[in-house]
Amino acid sequence: MNANISNPENAIEVRNVHKFFKVYEDKGTMLRERIVNIGRNKYEKREVLKGISFDVKKGEAVALIGRNGCGKSTTLKMLTKILRPNEGTIAEQGRISSLIELGAGFHPDLTGRENIYINASIFGIKNKEVDRRLDDIIAFSELEQYIDNPVRTYSSGMYMRLAFAVAINVDADILLVDEILAVGDQAFQTKCFNKLRDLKANGMTIVLVSHSIGQVKQICDRVIWIEDGLIRDEGPARKICDDYLNDMELKRLERVEVEAKMRDQKEKESLENGELSQEEKNIIQEKLNNSMKCQKICSQCGPDARRSGTGEAEFTDVIMVNEKGEPCTRFATGDKLSIRIKFKANDTSKNLNFTFGITRSDWVYCYGNEMQECTGHTISGKEAGEVVLTINKLNLLKGAYFLDFWIQDEAGVEIDCIHNLIVMHVEEDTGKDHGIMGMDHDWEIQ
Amino acid sequence: MISRLKEIIEYKDMIYSMVKRELRGRYQKSALGMLWALLFPLFQIAIYTFVFGVIFPSSIENYYIYLTAGIVPWTFFSEAVGQGAGCIVNNSNLATKIYFPREVLPISAVLAKFINMLLAFVIVFLFIVIGGVGINPAAIWFLPIVMIAEFILCLGFTLLFSAITVYIRDMEYIVGILMMAWIWGTPIMYSMDNLQPIVKVILLCNPMTSIVQSYHAVLYYKQLPDTLYTAITWGSAIIILVIGELVFAHLEGDFAEEM
Repeated sequence: MNANISNPENAIEVRNVHKFFKVYEDKGTMLRERIVNIGRNKYEKREVLKGISFDVKKGEAVALIGRNGCGKSTTLKMLTKILRPNEGTIAEQGRISSLIELGAGFHPDLTGRENIYINASIFGIKNKEVDRRLDDIIAFSELEQYIDNPVRTYSSGMYMRLAFAVAINVDADILLVDEILAVGDQAFQTKCFNKLRDLKANGMTIVLVSHSIGQVKQICDRVIWIEDGLIRDEGPARKICDDYLNDMELKRLERVEVEAKMRDQKEKESLENGELSQEEKNIIQEKLNNSMKCQKICSQCGPDARRSGTGEAEFTDVIMVNEKGEPCTRFATGDKLSIRIKFKANDTSKNLNFTFGITRSDWVYCYGNEMQECTGHTISGKEAGEVVLTINKLNLLKGAYFLDFWIQDEAGVEIDCIHNLIVMHVEEDTGKDHGIMGMDHDWEIQ
Repeated sequence: MISRLKEIIEYKDMIYSMVKRELRGRYQKSALGMLWALLFPLFQIAIYTFVFGVIFPSSIENYYIYLTAGIVPWTFFSEAVGQGAGCIVNNSNLATKIYFPREVLPISAVLAKFINMLLAFVIVFLFIVIGGVGINPAAIWFLPIVMIAEFILCLGFTLLFSAITVYIRDMEYIVGILMMAWIWGTPIMYSMDNLQPIVKVILLCNPMTSIVQSYHAVLYYKQLPDTLYTAITWGSAIIILVIGELVFAHLEGDFAEEM
């Protein structure tokens, strides 16, 4: 099971690892079931890892990313030796410490100080070493005043702070971290995060499992993307993370579309079944109309569109077009595009102000503006009309973006707001710009 | 096997912590605290003495001392093995999340009970001194040897049962019932002297018989135990430990998956 490292520069070598889990139809840990099932293999083998291989160099920080259940935590558990691979080998050199379970072995009736010793000893740290680090640990936890109180009197945040302080202050060559950086308040999280970066700067090898792509990008040199028990891609953190996010978003949108259809179907059925009061029917009808309305006014309507507002005016048609005037939602960085917005006013006395915003698929608000601020005008006294917003040069880089459209009055009251109406894909960028958007720039070598 | 032992020794601080956690944690919140380690056996002795000294009077002289010398070591055995059987499943949050030699858990569980027994021995010595039996220096030096043998036997059984309990949860209950019967198969409330030879042989198949007889010899009869008893004691303790560890080592790899 445990092999020797073949390349001395590597801290971890994983070779063609397979892992099966037995999935019992009804897991029989009761003796009766064990006896009844003797000789019958009443379980299925589920292959969680289907042969993965990778190396981690000494001093490197690597993240494993992937959707829930893809096998990344299983991989991490095998690196800690809690699970054994069914096939393949894992070789590691150096002392391994894991931040998988925080507060292991904490006893609620013992003091914070006593629990530090217990917790550290479970990680294999000698009491002498804890003596030496005790002040660091207590200082890191910021619990100086409370350290001699029983842990049961701690708030959950204090508890986690103490647990994290012990875990992060261990001496190791390889640190395995499973999704635990979400501890405590913002200030403490930042502190933990910086500590992790310090450890890395001091040459510790780190393997991280995280769903926080932002953290992964900041700490890790390299990312391994696991999908369905296989390595789908690996490479520099920024590139793999972006590809992963895009892929996740596409899958999510597909899913939302399916769910929206199912929901509409169900609501239609419940309307027809007629066991509901008139009031309930009206609510459902309105919801149905709403989602249909978004589709009706915009052929490019995304599955996530949500609409609300007072209704004195409303959008009647929204379409995004390219330079040639053809409907289009896929662009390249630098393209010109226009959005044609038709509306009607049910109450012509209102001064209508149009607002538009762009949000990236990971909920970073990228850009927005409003007509009144840009032009000094609002629209009033018209029963219907059209406004056109033209973006001369799309600076956004590769990714999926949501477009929001709002009609407000001059006081900011929301008359008709549609979030995520159009999903815009920027499919090509220069490849030389990184971040959210491109900037006009020059390099000069002098 | 040697590397395994080395690793367990590496983790001796964890064993120390787990024992401390068990003992401190257990008594921390109760008003009488550690005193319970003495009170519990005291009441146990009082109840059995009432039954076998007053209701069904026994022919054994100084019955309560005879009883004490056997029941205190027995309590260690039955608690260590009975509660130790669940030591892996009850610590599943540790065993499924963190790597450490799994033997640490049964070792700590047995060690904590062992320390409890040492505390309870305050009562044993109190009784033999106050009761007039006294201490024979020529025999008493053998006491630690019997205790260590009993510790090894307990550890063997606990390794065995705790590993099996991971796969068959009923084991915990079965061990509980086993203990209930086992106490009567051990000469604690009665003496072996007046038994039929065949019954004696059957009782000697129980490794706890020779251990309890050794305690009786050293503490009650103030003499060195029979060589045969000592041989059975150490032989069975080592065999059970080896079997326990072999089974444990064999099953240990898949603990995390089974829990």
